Amino acid sequence: MASRVALKVGGKGKNSGKGGRGGEGKSRTECLKEWTDWSLHKAKVIAHYGFIPLIIVIGMNSDPKPQLYQLLSPV
Amino acid sequence: MAGFPPPGATILGDAAAGKKIDEVGKKKVDYFNLPCPIPFEELQREAISIVPNLHMLSLKPELFEGMRFDFTKGLNPKFSLSHSVFMGPMELPSQGAETLKIPTAHYEFGANFIDPKLMLIGRVLTDGRLTARVKCDLTDDLSLKANAQLSNEPNMSHGMVNFDYKGKDYRTQLQLGDGSLFGASYIQSITPHLSMGGEVFWAGQHLKSGVGYAARYENDKMVATGQVASTGMVAMSYVQKVSEKVSLATDFMYNYLSRDVTASVGYDYILRQARLRGKLDSNGCASAFLEERLNMGLNFVLSAEIDHKKSDYKFGFGLTVG
Repeated sequence: MASRVALKVGGKGKNSGKGGRGGEGKSRTECLKEWTDWSLHKAKVIAHYGFIPLIIVIGMNSDPKPQLYQLLSPV
Repeated sequence: MAGFPPPGATILGDAAAGKKIDEVGKKKVDYFNLPCPIPFEELQREAISIVPNLHMLSLKPELFEGMRFDFTKGLNPKFSLSHSVFMGPMELPSQGAETLKIPTAHYEFGANFIDPKLMLIGRVLTDGRLTARVKCDLTDDLSLKANAQLSNEPNMSHGMVNFDYKGKDYRTQLQLGDGSLFGASYIQSITPHLSMGGEVFWAGQHLKSGVGYAARYENDKMVATGQVASTGMVAMSYVQKVSEKVSLATDFMYNYLSRDVTASVGYDYILRQARLRGKLDSNGCASAFLEERLNMGLNFVLSAEIDHKKSDYKFGFGLTVG
């Protein structure tokens, strides 16, 4: 009992794994919330770094296909 | 209108301000999204100047302070890159009567891919802030629009997704945003000239919800709109196309909860080589915005805003290439 209380008090990460024995429903929603937070965060990072390169890749592959030097030269 | 969630004004503002009827017999409503990125809009505006459907833009040009230089390089009819440099004071929101300005300079790189079915626009600043807009036509009637502002600072990123469905003489829109923001709107054209609509929104984070109604009457020469929202906003606007080159507009905004009133009068001169827009406000603010075409693809921009009440004078100039 004492060990379970101690584990629940410390850290979100430890809670999802060990708290399952006592309250199954509570830990599942917490797990789900944690997963959605993590995936939203990863999606945000991917969108942040990958959106402009995605546009460039789609643009360079559309026809008429532009040349690579045209990306950099100011003409 | 401080303290009220922006989505209410945005959704209804788009709904009311953007309807255009094609022909007299056929009832069809066109939905025009106001916060559209500038390059795409400029294309349309210069090519087709028939219907005064961009009336709100007469009263709200993009005024700026400082120097602005924009260079757009097209690699393709569909794909283009843009480089933009801005140097000037940026205003910070301040509680007191004085305005706080901090001189900033930034470079913004952007890429646009514009296709009839898919439009992708991305802009990234030197401090890492990304502005992304996506518009995709999933089917003939259903289209998806998303826009996001992502930044490296935590909790400063926002995103919003809209689903638009276009029916024979109506349009509906569903809007989902981060921070549990939910909005829906519906516009129906009642006669070939009159259309009415309503919207409902719910902002989870601010625990606010609201309902609004809008109506728009237009014919070849004028456009009149009115909207009411439960956030306390009452807005009416009227635009008259006086001649091929001149449009006059007037706008009235009243908040019955905070007792805030603003009325403004504006003009829009679309000349062969230049476009001049000016506005005079009841808050003691006069502004003007000039875009002059110096040469093919070279535009010179001048912006001025004089606020007598706050003694805030803003002047800006810029050059747009491509």
